[in-house]
Amino acid sequence: MQNSSTRKFSSKKFVWLYVLCGGFVLGTALLGLLVSSVSVPIPTIFHIIFENTINMGWLEDIPPNVESIIWNIRIPRVLLAFFVGASLALAGAAFQGLLRNPLADPYTIGVSSGAALGAVIVLFFQINIAVLGGYTLPIIAIIGGFVALLVVFGLVRLSSRSLAIETIILAGIIVSAFIGSIISLIIALGDRDSMVQIIYWLYGSVRMRGWSHVQLIIPFMVTGTFILLMHFRELNALALGEEAAEHIGVNVNRGKVWILIGASLLTGSAVAVSGSIGFVGLVIPHLVRLVTGPNHRHVLPLSMLTGGAFLILADLVARTIIAPKELPIGVITALIGAPVFAILLIRERIGKGAK
Amino acid sequence: MLSLKNVVGGYSNTPIIKGIDLAIEKGEFFALLGPNGSGKTTLFKLITGQLPLQKGEVSLSGQSLPSFTKLEKAKKIAVLSQEAHVSFDYTVEEIISLGRYPHQKGFLKKLSKEDWNVIENVMEITKTKQFQKTQFRMISGGEKQRVLLAKALAQEPEMLLLDEPTNHLDIKHTFQMIDLLKKWQQTKGLTIFAILHDLNVASLYADRVGLLHHGKFLEVGDINTLRKEDQLEKVYEVQVKTQSHPTIPKPQLLMTPNYVQTNEWRNFSESFSIEQNEKYIHLQFNQPLRTISNGVIGEGIQWIQHFCNFHVEKHYHCSEPDKDIRNWMEEYNIPHHQAVGMMTAVKLEDMVVCTKRMEDISIMAVVTAGIGNAVDISSKEEARQDVKIGTINTMVFIDAHFSDGALVNGIMSATEGKVKALQDLQIKDPLSNTLASGTSTDSLLLAVTQQGESTPYAGSGTLVGKGIGEVVYEATAKAVKKYWKRVKVNDIS
Repeated sequence: MQNSSTRKFSSKKFVWLYVLCGGFVLGTALLGLLVSSVSVPIPTIFHIIFENTINMGWLEDIPPNVESIIWNIRIPRVLLAFFVGASLALAGAAFQGLLRNPLADPYTIGVSSGAALGAVIVLFFQINIAVLGGYTLPIIAIIGGFVALLVVFGLVRLSSRSLAIETIILAGIIVSAFIGSIISLIIALGDRDSMVQIIYWLYGSVRMRGWSHVQLIIPFMVTGTFILLMHFRELNALALGEEAAEHIGVNVNRGKVWILIGASLLTGSAVAVSGSIGFVGLVIPHLVRLVTGPNHRHVLPLSMLTGGAFLILADLVARTIIAPKELPIGVITALIGAPVFAILLIRERIGKGAK
Repeated sequence: MLSLKNVVGGYSNTPIIKGIDLAIEKGEFFALLGPNGSGKTTLFKLITGQLPLQKGEVSLSGQSLPSFTKLEKAKKIAVLSQEAHVSFDYTVEEIISLGRYPHQKGFLKKLSKEDWNVIENVMEITKTKQFQKTQFRMISGGEKQRVLLAKALAQEPEMLLLDEPTNHLDIKHTFQMIDLLKKWQQTKGLTIFAILHDLNVASLYADRVGLLHHGKFLEVGDINTLRKEDQLEKVYEVQVKTQSHPTIPKPQLLMTPNYVQTNEWRNFSESFSIEQNEKYIHLQFNQPLRTISNGVIGEGIQWIQHFCNFHVEKHYHCSEPDKDIRNWMEEYNIPHHQAVGMMTAVKLEDMVVCTKRMEDISIMAVVTAGIGNAVDISSKEEARQDVKIGTINTMVFIDAHFSDGALVNGIMSATEGKVKALQDLQIKDPLSNTLASGTSTDSLLLAVTQQGESTPYAGSGTLVGKGIGEVVYEATAKAVKKYWKRVKVNDIS
């Protein structure tokens, strides 16, 4: 049958896409480990990784400072960049699917801002809730993001009955601007040192975070990813609109709540460890969709891989382009992401016009 | 299958649906009718569960519908509504496969072989297979609706709920779509509950209809419910005439607009022109007339503006005379869709025109007569197959307003006038040698201006009926005499 053969062909295509993306991730990770002011040969890098993970090193005489650079600085940095990028891209893909809105992402709909506010409060006032321990920062950030999301949805509900694309973005901008001014207020009230620290943090960076931050993001990321990947069919069904999705048996309200929770977990924890990094959640799912089509079965995992790899690469550029100084990674993603997104928008417009 | 008991519901506190009882049988096509705002969509949403019931009960196969989980419900009921908006560039196949959502099992929720079989099958049936890989937003509105139907059918539902599924489709796609539904209803026993805007479409396809008015059923019954003009006028506030479909025994509705025709008739005698030559007689009116006729073309009851009588050879023989007449009309620039066409072998210059005015009704008869084929309809002779064209063609024009019944009455009156004329002239059937009642191929038309008060009768008991008879009698007699004269002249020469 011709059909089953084309279907086989397309599933083969996806296998290749996964292989390609996986390769991209490994490649960028290796590049991230390799390129730096202190150059360490690749075999040494592998040795250090295997030595520290499964205790199977084969090289002798690795200077402890090299081992420390690779294991304690570069690997956590690369992992963190990957996790943050993957989280943001996955959250972006989920928000876009949920809101049926290609312009939605954690940044544009205000979740990032809310999470940032939560994080700034924790950092600035040195809050430490005993029950949460070290997880105070990500948890408050996640809550901040979730609250911002609720405020945005509340605004949209009050202003129009439908979840119109423009309304959501507008409400996101309003809420972001408001939260931004609160953050500015907090900064203005502080001293000069903490001001610089917070501003730099706000630009977004995965610098000097170490294993503690990797530990901080992992549980939330795993939970959020699991929740979202479980709901790929609901995201697909929502493309028909909420009513039509109900009619094919989707429990829309439950699905929506889960997806929002999952995406907020991812965004909040990402912002908590790295500050707010824009455009990853917007552009990456878009690019992935161009290749795979809109089916969330593939869009979600492939966005994760691509987003993670992209952020590793962005971090690499951020720390090498004006070495020895570093640029905030958010600057790089915005510099790359904004023009790419503009091109995508124009392309979409032209495509629709040609119809 | 689906049963509604005293259903009350709507938005906020004031219910829009005020107590509905309904039972829909398995395999039935039920159409929900009513104007905008009558509560159709609200009732629909109460059934689908999008709106909560305020009172009453909706049950499916005896089980209360709100007690179903969404998945259970989706396995039994599929919904197709009028919107066709899909975000992102999903392909047709992906959209249709969403219909398998309630049936998917397992942790990974992959489409099984069985799922694919169902999808292939519904794509085949809805003729959506040829664009299965196309993006949904690239296909036309009619195709989109077929894809969404395919998605609904992929749910393998026992019941299909349709909310104006053909709302913005043209008639081609509307009929394709509902034909398809009807086929599933008939072959698979699918139960269909549909909101339909078009009463005529509902009449053609539904088994039963329910007429909703202010949140209550005015009537639930078979499609002959649509024959109750008063009821429909009350609900829709539009003047409605019910007619039967010409080829299938179902009612069809004709709506009358409220605006008044501006170009009024003036004087009847000035409203037409007659052109008569060797080949044809052509009467053209400046307005269409309500016309009943048995002409070669333009038969039945219609609105007609051109009335023609064509001359043919004595031995004219053609298996498709209507085609000939249309060709001739085209040749002489007469629009044959608005024309009655007759034919005769009689010399057209022997045409007789008689007029009569009684009170304010004008009647005019235009007759050509030849009696070579005179027949006594009551004689025992067999009907003659080898018909020669010697015939009495009668056109009667009346400046009055007739109902359809009056038109038939008028035909009787005119026929009686003709028969009486033939009898008084002692014209005989040459075969049986008894008095003839007509010729074997007589044509007759009655055209009425529809001005003034409507008359339901035009038989011999009425003024106008009598007038018709008299005018036809007079004109027929004159025409026959002219015919005799010409035959005599021909015999001598």
